[in-house]
Amino acid sequence: MQAARPQTKHPSFGRVIDCHAHLHHRSRPSWQDDDRKLIDAADKLGIEQLCCSVLTPLKPATAEQFRECNQWVAEGMRRFPGRVLGYCFVNPGYGRQALDEVRRCVEDRSFVGVKMYNDYRANEPVVWPIVELTIELRVPILHHAGHAQWLPQPQPRISDGGHLAELARRYPEAMLICGHLGGGGDWEWTIKALRNAASVYLDTSGSVIDEGMIEMAAKILGVDRIVFGCDMSMTAGVGKIRSATLAAADKEQILGRNMHGILSRRASA
Amino acid sequence: MIDVNSYLGHFAFRQLRHNTASELLRLMDSRKIERAVVSSAAAITYRNAQAGNEELARDVKTHRGRLIPLGVVNPAYAGWRDDLKICHEEFGAKGLRLYPRWHNYSLSDPACLELVNAASDRGLVISIPLRVEDRRQQSWLVDIPDVSQDEIAGLIQSCPNARFILVNGSGYARSVLGRRNNGLPPNYVIDISLLRVELENEVGQLIENLGEERVVFGTGMPFHYPDPAILKLEILDASEAVKERIRRRNAASVLGLPSA
Repeated sequence: MQAARPQTKHPSFGRVIDCHAHLHHRSRPSWQDDDRKLIDAADKLGIEQLCCSVLTPLKPATAEQFRECNQWVAEGMRRFPGRVLGYCFVNPGYGRQALDEVRRCVEDRSFVGVKMYNDYRANEPVVWPIVELTIELRVPILHHAGHAQWLPQPQPRISDGGHLAELARRYPEAMLICGHLGGGGDWEWTIKALRNAASVYLDTSGSVIDEGMIEMAAKILGVDRIVFGCDMSMTAGVGKIRSATLAAADKEQILGRNMHGILSRRASA
Repeated sequence: MIDVNSYLGHFAFRQLRHNTASELLRLMDSRKIERAVVSSAAAITYRNAQAGNEELARDVKTHRGRLIPLGVVNPAYAGWRDDLKICHEEFGAKGLRLYPRWHNYSLSDPACLELVNAASDRGLVISIPLRVEDRRQQSWLVDIPDVSQDEIAGLIQSCPNARFILVNGSGYARSVLGRRNNGLPPNYVIDISLLRVELENEVGQLIENLGEERVVFGTGMPFHYPDPAILKLEILDASEAVKERIRRRNAASVLGLPSA
């Protein structure tokens, strides 16, 4: 692996960081207004920073398509300086092109992490080079995930907590974030699947606001493994943390301190 | 605040907390929710839903000032006319909750229409939860889709004298239920528990399309956390007068409570 090049600038991090957000794909005519609404909503809800990717409406994404998405994220970071932090979205099936894109986004554009979707399961070998590169670059991977009996649209290669736990056993030094506890189906299953994968974080995002889900995650995983996210369901995201029967210090840890710690590893490189 | 969307008892597929009257009241107190409309969570999956209504009646008996019971009645099950009478006359139910998908009937079935009309003749409201759980997390034993908004619109059209409270729904603006001048009688209100306000602003669209009197506060407790719904009202771009209507006045009006 190549040695990481020195990074020229590092963003500073706030107390409330949404670890799972998206800017809008520009095939959507209202993308500019919609991106603005995202920031406005964050303002109203006290979210200081949003870790954003842009995804292609149709998947799997080609290399050209994911590079285009990442270009838009870079532009979003400039439009909303200090508010939008960038995830580099790649389809690992594009091998060298995906690796080059991750390195370019992290080293040259100050992206804070990598976003992967459902092109491949998290434990498939095609994903390993991306994971190895994120270890070298000291950035996290936010992985789309869910464990559901029924999905509105089939996702044959969606990862679940079990796949991420398996990946973590292979790469315990990787910083893996399992996406949307509240949007990934059976959240009790997910929490239990991650119990013994100590290096995997769990993101709280999603529209599901089931009472007790945050407390169960805190009890089984510990508050130091839970990171706040919305995935565009913002009152749901903030509301479930506000409702949870946890100490104020624990909520602060979930809302920002854990993600701050993850992001600071790159900043301290 | 008046919460039109609460429950008591056990649910077959997930452990619920705060699911007794005293526990729910403590949770309501912590959020300044004065009154809540409650029905039996167990009745959703009991074959004989009336057993759930009996449990609910026992639990709310000494809390009637704050907990407003609804009966869960299944018009496809034997004895529903007796159940309706008992829910109203003995249990003091203010209305009914219907679960057409869970109880395997259609809202257009003659028995359902008869039930809704009979309940309305008694002055009862009809609450329809569009979902109980997000379909993605349902047990391998069941695959229960949301209640179709077109199907609900058909029932509303067929029963203009009924009063409906629709809960746990979203996406109304894309269906006839949320459209302006939709030709439906204005006899239904919609709870905010699963509506968006922050990006799509479904609540704002419904106020604009249907009127400020047609949106009500609901949480889905204890299936749901209460704060998402409370936060929606906090950040809703509306006057304090409109928010007050959503918090309590609209619900009081549709439920026929004296504070309307």
